[in-house]
Formats: sequence, C-alpha cells, structure tokens
Amino acid sequence: MHPMLSSSAPRRPWHTPLIATLALGVVVALAGCAAPSPGTATNFSTWDSVVTAADGQTVNLWMFGGDEQGNAYIDDVLAPAAAREGVNLNRVPVTDTKDALNRVLSELQAGRTDDGTVDLVWVNGDNFRTGKEAGAWLCDWTAMLPNMANTSTTDPLLTSDFGTPVDGCEAPWSKAQFSIAYNAAVVTNPPATVGGILDWAQANPGRFTYPAPPDFTGSAFVRQVLYSVSGGYQNVPAQYSPDAFDTLTPELYQVLSDLAPSLWRGGDTYPADSTQLNKLYAEGQIDMTITYGPATLTKLVEDGTYPPQTRVLELMDGTLGNASFLAIPSNAAHQAGAMVVANLALSVEQQVAKANPGTWGQFTVLDLSKLTSIERQQFADLPQSTVVPSFDVLSRNANPELSAAWVPALDEGWRTRVPTR
Amino acid sequence: MRTERGARAVLIVLLLPVGVVVLGGLGSAIMQSVGLMPLVGPVRFNLDAYAATSQDLPVAIGVSLAIAAASTAIAALVGTAAALVVVSGGWLGRLVGIAGAVTISIPHLIGAATIGLLLADSGVLPRLLGIDADAWPPLVGGPWWVAVIAGFAWKESAFVALVVAGTLLTRVAQFDEPAALLGAGRIARIRMIFLPLAAPSLIVASTIVFIYTLGSYEVAWLLGRTYPEPLAVMAIRLFNDVSLTSRTESAAIAIVTVVLAFAAVAVASVAVRRLAVWR
Repeated sequence: MHPMLSSSAPRRPWHTPLIATLALGVVVALAGCAAPSPGTATNFSTWDSVVTAADGQTVNLWMFGGDEQGNAYIDDVLAPAAAREGVNLNRVPVTDTKDALNRVLSELQAGRTDDGTVDLVWVNGDNFRTGKEAGAWLCDWTAMLPNMANTSTTDPLLTSDFGTPVDGCEAPWSKAQFSIAYNAAVVTNPPATVGGILDWAQANPGRFTYPAPPDFTGSAFVRQVLYSVSGGYQNVPAQYSPDAFDTLTPELYQVLSDLAPSLWRGGDTYPADSTQLNKLYAEGQIDMTITYGPATLTKLVEDGTYPPQTRVLELMDGTLGNASFLAIPSNAAHQAGAMVVANLALSVEQQVAKANPGTWGQFTVLDLSKLTSIERQQFADLPQSTVVPSFDVLSRNANPELSAAWVPALDEGWRTRVPTR
Repeated sequence: MRTERGARAVLIVLLLPVGVVVLGGLGSAIMQSVGLMPLVGPVRFNLDAYAATSQDLPVAIGVSLAIAAASTAIAALVGTAAALVVVSGGWLGRLVGIAGAVTISIPHLIGAATIGLLLADSGVLPRLLGIDADAWPPLVGGPWWVAVIAGFAWKESAFVALVVAGTLLTRVAQFDEPAALLGAGRIARIRMIFLPLAAPSLIVASTIVFIYTLGSYEVAWLLGRTYPEPLAVMAIRLFNDVSLTSRTESAAIAIVTVVLAFAAVAVASVAVRRLAVWR
C-alpha cells in the first residue's frame, strides 16, 4: 500500500503545510486592507489642464440602470457628445446607487486609492452624505467647470444635497419632483392632499401600496407622510435630532400601521422596490404609483405600459423636490475625463436634450435667467406632456428634503414598527 | 517518500488560492464584525455589531433554516426519484437526464425571475387558469415562501439527481443484476441496493444544497417577503445600507450564517461516516 494511504502513516506533516497555507492566505488577503484616506481635493489647477489630461480617457459612469430612458439618453446622446470631446463614456448599470458607493468604499478599504474602477456616479442624498463622511468623493472641482456659470449659486437645491453641503464634491445634473400618478379611469375623484391619498387608500382596500423602505421611493413616501401628519414640512426640523424623531414619528408610524390593512395584500407584504410597485400599477393591481422621476411617465403611457388615463396628482400641500448630481470618487482612475463629462452634461444643449419628455424628461438644473434669450427659447419650445404637468406646476409649494441623517432613522423606524405590527 | 513529498507540494499549491479566497474573506468578515476593520473611526475590538442585530437574529435564523430545510427535503426527494429513473435507462431515463442537465445550466436568478412570472398574482399560471389576481393564493411574497422554496427545490433537485445518478451508474449494475437474477423484486432492490448505494452522495449533495440555499439571497429577495428577512437578505440589506456602521452588522450576519453552514457540514459528515457503504 502507498504510504500516504496507510492508516499508520504519520498525520502531523499533513497538518503543517495545511495550516501554513491557510495562515499565509489570511496574511495575503488582509495585507491590502487599510483605513481609507479622507476626501481629497483635485490636483488640477486650470480647466485647460483638465481637458488635456482627459483626451482619450474612458470614463466609467455608474448609475441606476432601471430607467430605460435614462440609459438611452446616456448611450445615444451624452456618450456621442463626449466622444466628440475625446472622452469615451462607458455606462455601468447598477440596481441601486448604493452598489456604486459600496464598490468605491470597498476599493478604498482594500487600499486602491488611485486606480478605482468608478469614475463618475449619479448620486444624491444619503449616498452622497455617506460617501462624503467616508472621504470617498473628490472635492473642490465643480467651480472649475465652465458650464457651472449657468447655474444659480444660491439655489438651496444645488448648494445642499438633502441637508449635506455640496462643497464642490458633486456637479448638479437634474432636478426631480416627487409625484404620485393615478389611473383617472378608476380614480374619478382624485385626492388633493397627501392625507387625502391615505383616506382614498382606506376607502379602496387593496388598491394602494408603497415600496418598503429603505427603497428610495418608499423612503420618500414615508417622509411625505411625515410632513402630512406633522401638519406640513414647516413643522419638521430639517436637521435630524433624536428629540424631533421621538416627538414626530409615533404618529407617523401609527398612521402607516393603521393604513396597512387597507393596502395591497392587506399590508401583509410590500413591494421590495419601485420596479415591483410600477409592475403592480402596470398590471392594474393597484390604481396609484409613486415616482421621484415623473418625467418617465409620458413614455410609459405612450408605449402602453401604463393605463392611457394615467395622470399626476396635483397636491395642494406640495411634494418633495430634490436635485441629483454627478460625483467623482476620490480614487477614480480617470478624474479629468469625468470632469469633462460632468461639464458637458451641464451644457445648454445637453440639458435641453435631457429635458425633452421624448428623450428622458429630466428637469434642468440651469438658472434660466442666466441664459441668452435663444437658449431660454430652446427650453420653452420643448413638447408638453398630457400626463405630467410642467415643472412650474409640479414644483408649486415644493417641500424641501429632510437632511440625509433623517433617512436611515425613518427607514429603520418603519422596518421595526410598521410591518411587524 | 519522494512521491509523498511531491503530492504534498501539489496540495500546497492547490490549497493556496483556496486559502487566500476562503480564509481571507472569512478573516476580513470576522475582523469587520468585531470592529477591527472599520470604514471610519478608531479600530477597537467590540461585539456591538452582534448586539445590534441580536433582536432580529432569531427570526432570521428561523426563516433561513426553514427555507433551506424545506428546499433541501424536496430537492432530495425529487432528485433521488429522478436519479432512479435515469439509472433505470430507456427513453424516459434519457429524457429525465437531459431535463436535469438543462435545469442545472439555468442561472438561479433567471430561474427565480421565471418562477416569479409564472406564479405571481397576475403571472402566467393564474392567467392560463383564468383565476383573478385577488383570488390567487399569495405564492410570491406570501407567508409560506412557496415561490422561493419552489425556485430552490426545482433547481437543486436537478443537481441532486445528477450527482446521485452519477454515483449509481458506475456501481449499481454489479449488485442490481445478480440480485434480480436471484429473484429480488423491484421494491427490495430499491431498498437494499439503490438507496444504500445512493445514500453517501445523496447526503453530500443535500448538504451542498442546504448550505447554498442558506447563503443565497437573490431568490429570497426577488420572490420573498420584505419582512421577516432570511439571513442572506438581511446581510445584503445591511451591507448596502447607507449608514457606515451597518457594514459591520452585515459582516456579523455573514459570520452567523457561516457558523450555521459549518454546523450543517459537521452533522452531515457524522451521518456519512455512520453509513454502511462508507465503512
């Protein structure tokens, strides 16, 4: 018999190389790990040096990939325009912006500080705040962008992102308005307030629901209800404090718990994300759907996904408004190229194209008063939608977003108090 | 002795990448879970992450174990039956073999999406049967995790079938034919020859299925309920959470899952060693 197979062969030598190998494995795997460095400022001093460095770079733009119009805009409009400026734009779709942030954080944690795979991220709110806290964004670069001159320097939506000061760590891209769409063929007497929506849901059991937080849209709906039960956004302090949370949220969670039995499936479960919610609406299982990107509704009605009578509720108490941005990770390999793309995305030509409901329908971040009359006319000439009111109407009485610190607290409170009731 | 040393050298080379990946990943997860690899803040040993999740942990463990046990039981039962058909040969055996091979090559996520489209309230099946969405039982996202278990059991029964059939095909004829000649009936041959020969590979395959189901999140996320969460879904939610501290909690959940998986392996290896065929 071969000595290795005999039961009397000494077993110890087997264990020594095994343990040595495994120990070496741990050492090798952990050697690269290091605490991330704090957020870094850009090395470029002039825009010309950025443009020179950007030539020929391939920029990986990580963005939420669940919006087909957004994907098409990047691939068919923005990327060809970037190519004309010598930058290859590569769209990397993610199911949630958190995936992009997590990739950056993991790379920083593993010690990859200057050759990261993410060059540009479509981001705002709590993801921006978390990245900023962890030093994951490149800062002080947006002032260099020539097209920043066409944005307002005092617009609170652009200077602070869900309460977190922007500080030149991200360039504005689009504005959005939280909206609730309904099927007018079924909902003949549409509610005019957020409280009215809850009453409608209770009067029509099983025909309404919202995505479970921490889904972005579901989380926004909970904040919208918080404003409603608190008697308006004026009564909710923008900055988070445990005291404010303890005072204001018991009623919020009580209202949502009371509402639950009237929701789809009796509130026994919730759609896990806005995609599932939209599917329920498209299939006619519910009569209202919630979106932070109302611009996409026009196309969805046109192609027959949504009922033809889909309209956006015009709420008297107003809805949440925010802006979304393009941020560059501090470890991005192609920072110059990313800046060129961010600047291009802010050009009048790109902002007009993006605002067209037939393209993407995202509202512009430009300050129209800073544009020439010809440029203003380009925005005025955009086709109007029968489904979605214009941004002026939609953003009437717009509610400011709460600071990003509120978001995880409200989400966790919902998770522990509403579905377990 | 020279060949023995050579074999050892080969073993070390083969084990090194495994060691780096498995123990490196496990090591960093353990270190993250006890606060030794924080994303921000000071490095300090603590068990805060375990304490923070302790409230949700019992329910999550219960849900995870139940889903894994149910999926494994169905997969083992269906897989063994399918393996018997494959081994018995003929056109039916070949057909089942091909069906199993095709099923295995479908990615889990695609399979889960298909199950969702089939079994959802307004899915293909209720439409074919003409049943209204309100009257259809909540298989997707319902209280009994039916679609999740169905998804796992369907995919994994093919895996069990191919593993068990593979071991049976090489060995069963030398026992089965003499037994048949000596007058043993079908039931007796299944009980005395097929099942004992299949038992080791069945236990090993079932253990793999159990552990895979325990650690997989996408099927449960896609077809399951938002509350309560299985361990893997909870870990991925915490890992993707915006608060930086929840990454340590995610690592803690992952470690708990690993401990459960190791326990399952331990139970299975004891069971395999006790088998007559093994001895």
